[in-house]
Amino acid sequence: MNASERIRAVIVDDEPLARQLLREYLSVHHDIEVVAECENGFEAIKVVAETPPHLMFLDIQMPKLDGFEVLELIDRDLAVIFVTAYDQHALRAFEVHAADYLLKPFSPERLADALNHARARIGKPSVVSATRLAADARPDRKPAERILVRDQAKVHVLGVEKVDYIEAQDDYVCIHAGGERYLKGQTLGDIEESLDPARFVRIHRSYLMNLDRLERLEPYAKDSRVAILKDGRELPVSRAGYARLRELME
Amino acid sequence: MHPVLARRIRVELYLAAWLPVVALVSATLAVPEHRGLLEGALIGAPLTLLAAFMCMAQWPMCRALPLDGRNLLRFTVSHVLSLVVSVALWVAAGSVVAYVLQHHPSFPDAFSRYRFDAPLISALGALLFFCVTMLSYLMISFEDARDAERLALEAQVQTRDAELRALRAQINPHFLFNGLNAVASLAGSDPVRARTMCVMLADFLRRSLALGGRREIPLEEELDLAERYLEIERVRFGDRLKLEHDIDPAALGCPVPALLLQPLVENAVTHGIAHSIEGGVVRLTARRIAGRLEITVENPADPERPASRGQGLGVANVKSRLASLHPGATRVECIESGGRYRVEVVLPAVDREPEAGATQTQSATPTSGAAVEVA
Repeated sequence: MNASERIRAVIVDDEPLARQLLREYLSVHHDIEVVAECENGFEAIKVVAETPPHLMFLDIQMPKLDGFEVLELIDRDLAVIFVTAYDQHALRAFEVHAADYLLKPFSPERLADALNHARARIGKPSVVSATRLAADARPDRKPAERILVRDQAKVHVLGVEKVDYIEAQDDYVCIHAGGERYLKGQTLGDIEESLDPARFVRIHRSYLMNLDRLERLEPYAKDSRVAILKDGRELPVSRAGYARLRELME
Repeated sequence: MHPVLARRIRVELYLAAWLPVVALVSATLAVPEHRGLLEGALIGAPLTLLAAFMCMAQWPMCRALPLDGRNLLRFTVSHVLSLVVSVALWVAAGSVVAYVLQHHPSFPDAFSRYRFDAPLISALGALLFFCVTMLSYLMISFEDARDAERLALEAQVQTRDAELRALRAQINPHFLFNGLNAVASLAGSDPVRARTMCVMLADFLRRSLALGGRREIPLEEELDLAERYLEIERVRFGDRLKLEHDIDPAALGCPVPALLLQPLVENAVTHGIAHSIEGGVVRLTARRIAGRLEITVENPADPERPASRGQGLGVANVKSRLASLHPGATRVECIESGGRYRVEVVLPAVDREPEAGATQTQSATPTSGAAVEVA
């Protein structure tokens, strides 16, 4: 990056005093320009979409969208420094992938260290995708309870129970939920992995179905079947998909 | 009730255990006068069955006459009398059976032979009743040992409960670290408030440490602690956290288990405020109605995020603590409606000084007591 260009940083924290402290500590680092303060994850995503920053200070415990979820929704390559009072949040992942992490309360010296790591990191393309990083950083490997979809600066939070089925479309997945369709840049395999395998069944190479929505199965052709959903929609079921379905039903 | 009658399987086992005795009695009756096994069994079986039921009466008697060496006279007289009466009844019952049996053509001499064997049968009966009495005492001592073990376990649980309370009072790292971070922030922008915040944090910690070591405290003290906690959180959350309370002065003196409300108040902030973008009102109420103390803690609830999931554990702890203190007299309920989550706690309102002894000395000198515990 150009030496004369300052690092554009965003502070994301729901506590005003915590933001204020970071801003104060950062004021002595002249190469850092705080371009925005965000009170919650939605604001953060909006800011990232509108004024791409280089660096983000990201609190983890925040209302509605936590820091991990914010990270998952930002597909842009930017350096992230996690700021948290909790040290049990899988810090190993940050140490490997994120620029750094700060444990509240932290000293100005510790912040200077973290900034050095971030400076080294900015401008180099990340080896690991943000989605991957967020998945690794999750403390629990429990199935996701909601799916986050970003639509420009807007974020849709879909409870998994509202999802009817998910369809693969090239590099995207199309999530069908309550008559609406949501496009997300993720592979069907990745999203399948994050969901509860007892609820979402890969009935076909291109289809992941919410088992709760299944009305009945009907034979379609030799070796293939069709799943009739409760709302009448029909989805193809492959032979392997039928085997998985039977395994779950038993 | 007799322990054997408590479950069907035990009755079956008990009767099965008497089968060898049936064989023994029948054989004893059959052998001496060569009256044959059939005649022996026909008298022996009903007689043994009768003994099986008579022996059940030993249990309450043994329970009433403990083997502790006190009142030896009463103990001996009762048992000897019981033994004599039981044996007499038993032999008499046997003679009735034999008398009935002699009317059958196959056993014409049943009754006369029985009369001849009466001393033997008495001796057998005495031995049986004696053994059963001994067995009863053995069972009683097993039962007592088990009870003692259970009591010891309960005491252990209570001790651990007290330890947990003390621990709870100390450890809430997230609260502490965020509070310290707020102090660090204020130190730069508003040193006077930073000092106030330090004092608030210290006050809260000192008080919760002191309360953690006590069992029951007046509601007033518990509410005071909650208030201090909420004031600190208000510094962190700013306008997002608003407080309301409606406290009946008549409720303030009622004793409540120490730190009972604290987890509920903390839940109200972490689940109701920290997870909400706009925040809202945390409301505390306490009323005293007809011998009952009703306390509610209310916070905003996010309809997309079922509060019961996150707040369930704290509520379950409160429930089990109250249930062990006032069995059957408490109620803890969670109600989520209209965007609010409310926990209602109902417990008996008692008018007594909480815990005389230890607590008195502590409340007499609260600061020194607390200082000792902190050190």
